[in-house]
Amino acid sequence: MANLSIEHLNKRYGATTVLNDVNLSIEDGEFVVLVGPSGCGKSTLLRMIAGLDGASGGDIHIAGKLVNTLAPAERGIAMVFQSYALYPHMNVRKNMTFGLKFTGVPPTERERRVTEAARMLRLEELLERYPRDLSGGQRQRVAIGRAIVREPEVFLFDEPLSNLDAALRVSTRVEIANLHRLLKSTIVYVTHDQVEAMTLADRIVVMNKGCIEQVGKPLDLYYEPANLFVAGFIGSPAMNFFEAEVEGIEGGRARVTGAAFRTLDISAASLKVGDRLTVGVRPEHLVRGEAGAFTAEGIVELVERLGEASFAYLRRVDGKMFVAEVRGRQTPAPGETVTLVAASPDVHVFDASGLRVATETR
Amino acid sequence: MAEPVSHVTAQMPRAKLAGLLLFFLGPAVVIYTLFSIYPLVATMALSTYTSDTSGARSFVGLANFQTLLGDALWSKPFWNALGNNLIFFVVHMCVQNPVGIALAGLLSLPGVRLKGFYRTVMFLPTMLSVVIVGFSWNLILSPLWGVASGALKAVGLGSLFAPWLGLESSALVTLSLISVWQFVGIPMMLIYAALLNIPEELIDAARVDGLGQFRIFFHIKLPLVLPTISLVSVLTFVANFNAFDLIYSVKGALAGPNFATDILGTFFYRTFFGNQLQLGNPTMGAAVATVMFFIILLGLCLYLFLVQRRIRRYAF
Repeated sequence: MANLSIEHLNKRYGATTVLNDVNLSIEDGEFVVLVGPSGCGKSTLLRMIAGLDGASGGDIHIAGKLVNTLAPAERGIAMVFQSYALYPHMNVRKNMTFGLKFTGVPPTERERRVTEAARMLRLEELLERYPRDLSGGQRQRVAIGRAIVREPEVFLFDEPLSNLDAALRVSTRVEIANLHRLLKSTIVYVTHDQVEAMTLADRIVVMNKGCIEQVGKPLDLYYEPANLFVAGFIGSPAMNFFEAEVEGIEGGRARVTGAAFRTLDISAASLKVGDRLTVGVRPEHLVRGEAGAFTAEGIVELVERLGEASFAYLRRVDGKMFVAEVRGRQTPAPGETVTLVAASPDVHVFDASGLRVATETR
Repeated sequence: MAEPVSHVTAQMPRAKLAGLLLFFLGPAVVIYTLFSIYPLVATMALSTYTSDTSGARSFVGLANFQTLLGDALWSKPFWNALGNNLIFFVVHMCVQNPVGIALAGLLSLPGVRLKGFYRTVMFLPTMLSVVIVGFSWNLILSPLWGVASGALKAVGLGSLFAPWLGLESSALVTLSLISVWQFVGIPMMLIYAALLNIPEELIDAARVDGLGQFRIFFHIKLPLVLPTISLVSVLTFVANFNAFDLIYSVKGALAGPNFATDILGTFFYRTFFGNQLQLGNPTMGAAVATVMFFIILLGLCLYLFLVQRRIRRYAF
C-alpha cells in the first residue's frame, strides 16, 4: 500500500492536449475516483499511472519512488480493465498466476496467493474453468483476483463495471467497496458514472477537458461545487442554472435579480453592482411554497414519475426549462403554474468565470 | 449436430420451402457441380479407361493405378515426384510460415513506422506473375550473368556461390525458397489480420503482468492466432501439392536437372499432355490426377480430424 503523487503531468498527442498540468496527491489506502465526461482524460491519466502511456511532461511518484521511466510491472500497480482482458486461452488459475511467473514469485507462494484471492472473491469453484465459461460478473471477479495476487501498492480500475448489467453493477460495486475495506489498499478508479463515484470514493476527482476541476469528498462536491462544471456534473438530474445580475449592494449584502426568479438577497463581500452571476439550485432542493430564500415560478410541461419521486419539467418566464423533484403521490398537472422555493444553504452562486462565490443567503 | 428447427421454415408449405431452398442453394449447387464435381468425377472415370493406338477407349478398372504404382517405368518417377513434393511442402512449412508469422508479429508491434509501406512491399511478389518471378530468379541466380555471384563477392562471400538451380542437390530447395519468397505475403497478411483482432486491453494486461513484447508474442498473441496459423498450413499444403507453374517456368516440364525438381504437378503435365518424346496419355494422366486428389484429401482429413478439432477459436 502506498501513496501516489502526480505533479505537473502533461499529455499531448501532436497538437492536441489530452492532459494539462494535472496535480494530484493520493494518500495511502485512499479510494480515489476519477470521474468526468468521455474524452476528459481520466482514462489517459490512469493509463499513465499504470505506465501504459508515456507522459509528455511531469512526474509520477508511487510510494515515494519516481516511476516515470519504469515499466508497468515495476511500478507496483495492478490494473483491472473494462473488458476484463482475461487471457482466453488460460483457465482462471493460470490467468491469475501467469504474471507472477514472470516476476519471480515462487510456485508455493503463487499457490498461496491464488487460494487466498479465490477465497476472498468466491472463485474456488471456478479455478479450472476458462473465461469463455464464465459469466460477466465472474469474469470481473477473476480480473480483480488477478490484480489482487500481484499484491500491488496501488490498484487501478478502468471503468470495471460498465460491461455489466444494472443489477450486477450494483452488487459488484458493493463487492469492490468491501474489498477496499478488507485490503485497505490505495485504489484509483475511473468511471463516467457519478453514482459509482459517489458511492465508492473517499475522494472524487472531477475532470474536464484534460484538467482537474475539483477534488473533494463526495458530499463536499455535492454541497459545495467549486465551479459551474462540477455543479452541473454531480447530481442527477443536473442542477438548474439561472442567469442573474447584481442590482445593488447595501451593507455587505447584494441584491441579485434575474428574469426567472424573485430577487435574491445574498451576503457577498467580493461582488460589485452590475456583476453577472449564475444562480444554481438542485431539483431535489426545490419544494412547493409561497416564498423562500430563492423563489421561482414555472409552468409544468412534463412530469416523469419514478416512484420514490417525480421530476417536473417547468417552463420558466424567460422561456428556458428547469427541473424540480416532487415527493409524494400528488404531482402537479401539466399546464399548472407552480411556485417553487429553496432554502438558503441550497442556493449556489457562481461568478462570470464560473467559479463559486462564497455566500450566505438570508 | 442437431440444429434447432426454425419456426418459420417448419410452418412453411413444402412447395414454398423447396422454392426457397432452390433460390438460395441453387446457384451454388449448379456452379459447384459444373466446375468442381463434374470435372472431378469425369477425371476419376477417365482414369479407369485406357486408349489404344487408334484412340478407342476401353474400360480397364484400376489397371492404370496398378501400372502407376507397380510398373517401375511409372512408379519411379511418381515416387520421385511425391518425395520432391513433400520436400517442397516441408520447406514452405519451415520457412514460409515462420517467416510470415515473424513478419506479421513485427508489423503488429506498436510504434512501427512505415507499416503500410512494408506491408505492401512484402506482399508485392505475391501479385507478380509466376513467369516473371521464375524468369527473374533464373537470371539472378545464373552463374553466367546473374547478380547473385557478384553480390556475394562484394560482401566477401563469393566462395559460397554455386549454380544452385543447376545442381541436383540444391535445385529443389532453391526453387522452394523462390516460391517462399513469392508467397510469404499471404501467411503474413492472414496472421497480421488475426493479430490486429486481438484486443488492445489484452496486450495492456500482459504488459501490466510484466511481459515484454517478445513474451507477449509467444505467450499471448501466438496461442490466440493458432487457428489462423493452422488455416495457413492447410492452404500451404493444398497449394504445394497442386503446384506446377513455378517449376515449369524455371525448369520446363522436364523439371531438371535429372528430375531433381519434378513434383506431382509437372509429373502430371508430362503424363497427360506429353513432352518431347513422351506421348500424351490422358487416361494415365487422369490416374495421376486422381492420386493427387486423394493425397490432398488424405492430408485434409488428417488435418480436420487430428488438428482442427483440438483448436479453439477465441471470441474476444
